[in-house]
Amino acid sequence: MWRLLTALSVLLAPGAAGAVESAPVTSPRATVTVVSSVEAIAPGRPFRIALRQRLAPGWHTYWTNPGDAGAPPEMALALPEGASASDLAFPTPERIPYGPLVNFGYENEVLFLATVTPPAALQPGDRFALEASASWLVCEKICIPEEGVFRLDLPVEGTPRPAAASAEMIRAGEAALPRPSPFAVTVGFEGQGGAIALAGEALAPGSVREAYFFPADWGVLDHAAPQPMTLSDGVLTLSLARGVGPVPASVSGLVSIVDRGGVRSGYVVSAAPGPVPALPAAPGLPLWQAIAFAALGGLILNLMPCVFPILAMKAMGIARLSGAARGEIRAHAAAYTAGVVLSFLALGGLLVALKGAGMAAGWGFQFTSPVFVAALAWLMLAVGLNLSGVYAVSGPMGLGQGAASQGGKVGAFFTGALAVLVATPCTAPFMAAAIGAAVAMPPAATLAVFAALGVGMALPYVILGAAPGLARFLPRPGAWMERLRQGLAFPMYAAAVWLVWVLAQQGGADAVLAVLAGAVLLGFGLWALGQAQGSAGRGRRIGQGLAAAAVIGAVALLPRLDAASPPAGAATASVSILPDAEPWSPERVAALRAEGRPVFVNMTAAWCITCKVNERVALTTDAVQLAFAERNVAVLVGDWTRGDAAITALLRQHQRDGVPLYLYYPAGGGAPAILPQILTEGIVLDAIGAAKGPLVGAARGSTI
Amino acid sequence: MRLLTRRTTLAAGLALVAAAPREALAAPSLGAPAPDFALPDQDGTIRRLAEFRGKAVVLEWTNHDCPFVRKHYTSGNMQALQALAKERGVVWLSIASSPEGEQGHVTGGQARELTESRNATPAAVLLDPQSVAARAYAATVTPHMFVIDGAGILRYMGGIDSIRSTRVEDVPRAEPFLRDAMLAIAEGRAPAQAVTQPYGCVIKYFGA
Repeated sequence: MWRLLTALSVLLAPGAAGAVESAPVTSPRATVTVVSSVEAIAPGRPFRIALRQRLAPGWHTYWTNPGDAGAPPEMALALPEGASASDLAFPTPERIPYGPLVNFGYENEVLFLATVTPPAALQPGDRFALEASASWLVCEKICIPEEGVFRLDLPVEGTPRPAAASAEMIRAGEAALPRPSPFAVTVGFEGQGGAIALAGEALAPGSVREAYFFPADWGVLDHAAPQPMTLSDGVLTLSLARGVGPVPASVSGLVSIVDRGGVRSGYVVSAAPGPVPALPAAPGLPLWQAIAFAALGGLILNLMPCVFPILAMKAMGIARLSGAARGEIRAHAAAYTAGVVLSFLALGGLLVALKGAGMAAGWGFQFTSPVFVAALAWLMLAVGLNLSGVYAVSGPMGLGQGAASQGGKVGAFFTGALAVLVATPCTAPFMAAAIGAAVAMPPAATLAVFAALGVGMALPYVILGAAPGLARFLPRPGAWMERLRQGLAFPMYAAAVWLVWVLAQQGGADAVLAVLAGAVLLGFGLWALGQAQGSAGRGRRIGQGLAAAAVIGAVALLPRLDAASPPAGAATASVSILPDAEPWSPERVAALRAEGRPVFVNMTAAWCITCKVNERVALTTDAVQLAFAERNVAVLVGDWTRGDAAITALLRQHQRDGVPLYLYYPAGGGAPAILPQILTEGIVLDAIGAAKGPLVGAARGSTI
Repeated sequence: MRLLTRRTTLAAGLALVAAAPREALAAPSLGAPAPDFALPDQDGTIRRLAEFRGKAVVLEWTNHDCPFVRKHYTSGNMQALQALAKERGVVWLSIASSPEGEQGHVTGGQARELTESRNATPAAVLLDPQSVAARAYAATVTPHMFVIDGAGILRYMGGIDSIRSTRVEDVPRAEPFLRDAMLAIAEGRAPAQAVTQPYGCVIKYFGA
């Protein structure tokens, strides 16, 4: 039966002379062919071939260092006189555990590439026949050696003719090859332990999901030992366990890195062993120190300008407490503390959840949303207008109400919550170490640090609550309270101005216009509300109606804020190292195409390691920059650091969940070419039609 | 405070162990006493490493259906090495560590039959279906070779030779690591290469 299937597959395979894929050698374990990147070769012009293995589920073949068992495939080429070929290039392998052992190899489908250079003396009309004798070991639990002879017979033409059928496959094969490392590598061993460290600016906590060092030589490492990863700013360190063989004079291999977007790349690394690279102090700070710093930082937060308006509100609350009963003071302080601590816990929990979902959430992340900033500016204005006496509130803010009422406690709680929301950006410069440590800790520790931050911030009120006698020293209530209240409105207006400035950075002039127009509407609405509060019957209803309409009008402005684009040039400079790049927008793409220029689109993000490496090893090389210049290619960079909606839509359109995304819109119109997420110089040159011969650049860029 | 940090580290360590799919192997040390074992041979007699004290011992991990093992039996290389061992007074122990139902598992009768049919001359074939000895030596492949001196000290571990293929024609071309090490150790000399890369089929560990 099986023989029949094999015979059928040979018959059905596109293996006839002239095809770009040889007849297959088939077993129940593997279907193997040799594939060419071109349908027709040209004299002296190198082209790619690949030994292609499609493996049955559970079966695998091996990398050059097969790990604890196995052997890599071999291929010998019989070529026409004068032709030459490179060695097989092996893609980045996977760890394949079996029992207590670990092998390095490949499952499912794998391509081993070689570059063939035909002689220059060939003439168009000749034929170029090559014969590849390959042998490979394919293993599940048991191992079967297999072998085969594969033939390709290709016509010779004036210029190489790329093969449509195999171009995509070969390109994917090239993308799976390891790339030169852009990192500074150090490695060292002591006794049975050791470490390898990669230094590079793209590396940062959270930027890498997984990393693993595949040693080129057997015996250097214990292949089955886990390699715990430590990430600090700019340095990735893997702890290593020694194997039983000697340490070579140069430790080489591949480091495979899965970035936060889930893209896996291999980097060729090599270093002479030296002292063991130091592990960065494990989680930055020990937990107790992080908690102590957090509490201290929280206390200092009370003096920060951005909390000042909230302090003003709090001062009002305290002033009203003068002369109040001890129980009330205590309840008030407890409510405020609860508001602060619970809000910090909520923020910390959200941060942990976002991190868990693999999102790029930094501290103060709520400030990256223009809608949030605008709403906060309006809230500050509304509180200010209340303090100025434009209108009165009987809701949860409790600002105009008696301190002894139940509303006072609820008010104190929400005052605490608001203080936290506003204070977070101020924490960044002072709290960076503690928060950095907290975010890298397990979730429970993270939350403990955030709770400490809250306790610190609420500390003055905790003390007041614990020793209510202190309230005696507060001045007696009187007319001064009203003046204080009105005076405290101005810090609120100042806070609103600061928030508008923040918004200007994010959304430019359009956003500022929207937020100020909203402020006028809100001011009008609250004034109308105040007038209504002073009258009765019909006038009251008219005032309330006007107020509601004004607030609705202001809310209707929010979507405009979301759509407002950041000032041109501001973001792209930091997120990409591509020279002469402009910020991406669909309109700009359309305009450039209307001018007849080819357009290269680079969608990237500040935290995307793969993007940065691609820029360094493929997009900013002299050959690519020259090719861009020669063809007058416009380069547009999109910054997805903050998850821009238009870019997200473009990603979805191309079935991508994240960056990198590279598109090339050719000059003559038509659909864009989608480049792989992992680029080599050759892939880029090929895509923009600048390759000297088919894939010659790629051949150069990917020697192992 | 220190305690807290240490506890965190400990917790992280425990998590790692839990995450690791199976227990890892610790390789034995060269120059240290070789791990002892007690395994039944092809006739059911329990054999210990300690009983061969005073003689050099070769351990050969085997799986008769593994293509790498077959390469060395088909070519007659393994039999020649066993004969050489006998001639030099070296004890040759073949160890089958495959559990029942896995490739390479043998009963005593099958072991006797294989020895007979292949004209092999090991001092004994040891049956290790629980992979206990394989774990003790961190044996990874078949054939994985170890040489122990007369004092019971581990002196060589690694491959049988230098060409890691399944092709019979590679046997005469390869550097005979095991042969060189065995002869040196039998004469009380240190082998030129005490550790080499073993190659072959993965050992079918019990419970893997």
